[in-house]
Amino acid sequence: MRKIFANAAVRELLRIVLAVSIALLLGLIVTLLVSEDPWGAYKAFLVGPLTKFNRFGDWIEESITLIFLGLSVAIAFKAKQFSLGAEGQMVLGALVSGSIILFVPIESAFLRITVALLAAMVVGFLWGAIPGYLKAYVNANEIVTTLMLNTIALKLYDYFLTYKIKPEGAGYTASDFLPNAYRVPSFIPKFAGNLYDMFSRQTNITLFLYFMVASILIGWFLMYRTPFGYELRMVGSNIKFARYGGINTKKVIVLAFAISGIFAGLAGAHLAMGIHNKLILNITVGLGFEGIVVATMARNNPLFVPLSGLAYGYLRAGADIMERASDMSREMVLIVQALIILLVTAEGILPVIQQRVGQGSNKGLSKVVDSPAATEGGSHVI
Amino acid sequence: MAPIIEMRDIVKIYANGVVANNGINFSVERGEIHALVGENGAGKSTLMKILYGLEQPTEGELLLDGKSVEFKSPHEAIAQGIGMVHQNFMLVPSFTVAENVVLGDEPLGKGGMLDKKQAMQITADLSRQYGLRVDAEATVDSINVGMRQRVEILKTLYRGAQILILDEPTAVLTPQETQELFVAVRALVDQGKTVIFITHKLREVKEISDRVTVMRDGKLIGTQNTSDTTRESLASMMVGREVFLNVNKAPQNRGEKVMEVRNVSYVAETGRVMLRDISFNVFAGEVLGIAGVEGNGQTELVEVLTGLRPAASGDAMVHGKVVTSKTPREVRMAGVSHIPEDRLTNGLALDVSIEENLIVDRYFNPPYRKGVLLERRVVGKLGVDLIRKFGIRTPNGLLPVASLSGGNMQKVIVAREFSSNPAVLIASQPTRGIDVGATEFIRDQLVQKRTDGAAVLLVSADLSEVMSLSDRIIAIYEGEITGVFTEAASVSEEELGLYMLGIKRQSWEEMEAYL
Repeated sequence: MRKIFANAAVRELLRIVLAVSIALLLGLIVTLLVSEDPWGAYKAFLVGPLTKFNRFGDWIEESITLIFLGLSVAIAFKAKQFSLGAEGQMVLGALVSGSIILFVPIESAFLRITVALLAAMVVGFLWGAIPGYLKAYVNANEIVTTLMLNTIALKLYDYFLTYKIKPEGAGYTASDFLPNAYRVPSFIPKFAGNLYDMFSRQTNITLFLYFMVASILIGWFLMYRTPFGYELRMVGSNIKFARYGGINTKKVIVLAFAISGIFAGLAGAHLAMGIHNKLILNITVGLGFEGIVVATMARNNPLFVPLSGLAYGYLRAGADIMERASDMSREMVLIVQALIILLVTAEGILPVIQQRVGQGSNKGLSKVVDSPAATEGGSHVI
Repeated sequence: MAPIIEMRDIVKIYANGVVANNGINFSVERGEIHALVGENGAGKSTLMKILYGLEQPTEGELLLDGKSVEFKSPHEAIAQGIGMVHQNFMLVPSFTVAENVVLGDEPLGKGGMLDKKQAMQITADLSRQYGLRVDAEATVDSINVGMRQRVEILKTLYRGAQILILDEPTAVLTPQETQELFVAVRALVDQGKTVIFITHKLREVKEISDRVTVMRDGKLIGTQNTSDTTRESLASMMVGREVFLNVNKAPQNRGEKVMEVRNVSYVAETGRVMLRDISFNVFAGEVLGIAGVEGNGQTELVEVLTGLRPAASGDAMVHGKVVTSKTPREVRMAGVSHIPEDRLTNGLALDVSIEENLIVDRYFNPPYRKGVLLERRVVGKLGVDLIRKFGIRTPNGLLPVASLSGGNMQKVIVAREFSSNPAVLIASQPTRGIDVGATEFIRDQLVQKRTDGAAVLLVSADLSEVMSLSDRIIAIYEGEITGVFTEAASVSEEELGLYMLGIKRQSWEEMEAYL
């Protein structure tokens, strides 16, 4: 087992490195065509996130959100449920957790933060359970339902922020800052002195970093070490087999969506309580869909999600810096970024295709086994 | 004159060792309607795929008009005038009939665009010439099944087919459409075409064909003039006794009634009644075999009894506990295990490891589960034990099931379903399409289960399997029990065949006491 795992891990790593390299090369070509100072621009892109401390922070912060989202998507996808609902679950997670920190008068900071986090998880769970239920019991297409629920969630967020949360008379649509006493502490403890000062002053890397690590482990554990994870994987691999074997496939589908929502809710909490420390308009900037890229690159395995999340976060951060630090226009930067996304997902799709081909040949083989029997009596699809 | 088609000593062995055709000598005369019959799995489709270039023979020679040919693809077969109409139509639903007919070899008009008028003309001409009535302007999704089939035939004729292979063409047709098809087939032959007609409906063989070839178990049993045959003689050729594999069967020690099926009916979504008032009992220590030509309700019966489909009416009980219209888990908990007829659809998760495939019926119970955890060590140990006990050929239990051969895949299912110590074991096509070694092993295990006191319900399209393994046999035809035979060993396969094909049936009074 160890050996296979090691090989798989090496393969995954190679795959991601390859995808990123090709993406970078293409990005370079575009930069060469467009920029007056292509080398400078591209350098800003490539090493930008590492050149300044606050840039490093931005990279890690965004990666944390991406990793939560990647976990969320991985769980739904593992059960072959094509949920696109992370965006909506995330924005509600942000709304609920931010509001609790702002308005719920719990004295203890520890308790208030804990309650806010739990509430974000619960709202993600519930908002996820809706499309799950609709898919399992009334056979509603999950792509449609999750997209519609995203719209509802985003508009609910806008409504509450604009009409309920925004302080009266404020000239911009945003909440107050979260009170200092109720912020999630830096990931470096105070007694670390200089190091603490450095990180807490220039970055918003908080305890969410550890929550993220715990989430990765819990996600992996859930998927590969628990009866529920077994059910999830069987439903994803062959739902007819799962049903034949006695698994309650409807329950598993609902839970797959709902548990996926928990991690998206945490991503939202991270936006509100970790990065921005307030609620702002357009807080998600469509990140919910980037979780699909992260999960796909990680082949829906929670253990590979941090790797793909960090790599993808780095590309995004680098593109931002290139825009600010060079003559590359916003549009060109977006093109480079889109090219990268394209390639990265394409690279994610490539092994899936190979897998399909592999499965195809297996199916071919097994079809061969059955073909004398199966083809003659087969159903008549016209 | 040489026959238009001659296939000599055709052997087809698939990569996994399944022998689908074993030394077939098959010839078709110019201008005849040649019926090719046999049970499912007899090898007729494989033989026709070789003729049509979809499969390459392992050994043997193919002669067309006396000249040796070799088809690497259907394209080459089509170029030599061979056309095939598949069971599943291959038409573009949103295109018109005319566009479908010319698709792939379109008449081009100005600027390289499809000349619709000419396509329409071609279709109308062909339609008139061969008496295949179609509406050239209608889109395919708006026409009925019978017309779609005529479009398929026109398509092959447009490509210059001289020899048409029709693969179970009547399976999708109503009786009236079947008659229309027969008229068209005769018109084709009158105009010099040759038709190979695959079917397993003996009535149609008698009605339409000039000669008939019977295949069974990958071998060609015989070719005769249809006028020299009777339905009975064909039935016995189709299902006739083969060399029995050695099954060591201890004398029966029949125990208490374990499963009781009472007036079970099932209606398909299409409204067709698939099972009509089925009643029987299965006793401990017996194998009850269900003999029937495939498609006569066996699949539905097994799925109703295992919780995969709800019964329309009636119920089944195991030790007095109702198991119909329950979840598969509840049925399993009542002591029923199930070897499904289609192992790839129901029986296995292909990309999941062998050991995880072995626990789907028990992972939620200790010792496989401890608290919220799967006990991987116990799961692994079960895998090792079952792999050894059932002789599953694999380096270890962590490999995906997809890496196994068909026979070994089936052993994974058998290992799981047998090791749960079921009170009732429902085995559907347990040895279909797997090699002889695995077949013999699985049959021995089935009999062993019965000798150990389980109630075994065996459904198989392989009549010799039903006859050699069963203690008691029920014949089923069109969803109804047509006969029951208490001494499986003493009934002849010809006799049984008559009940399976609905030619004979026992009255309810005759059967009641023995079901």
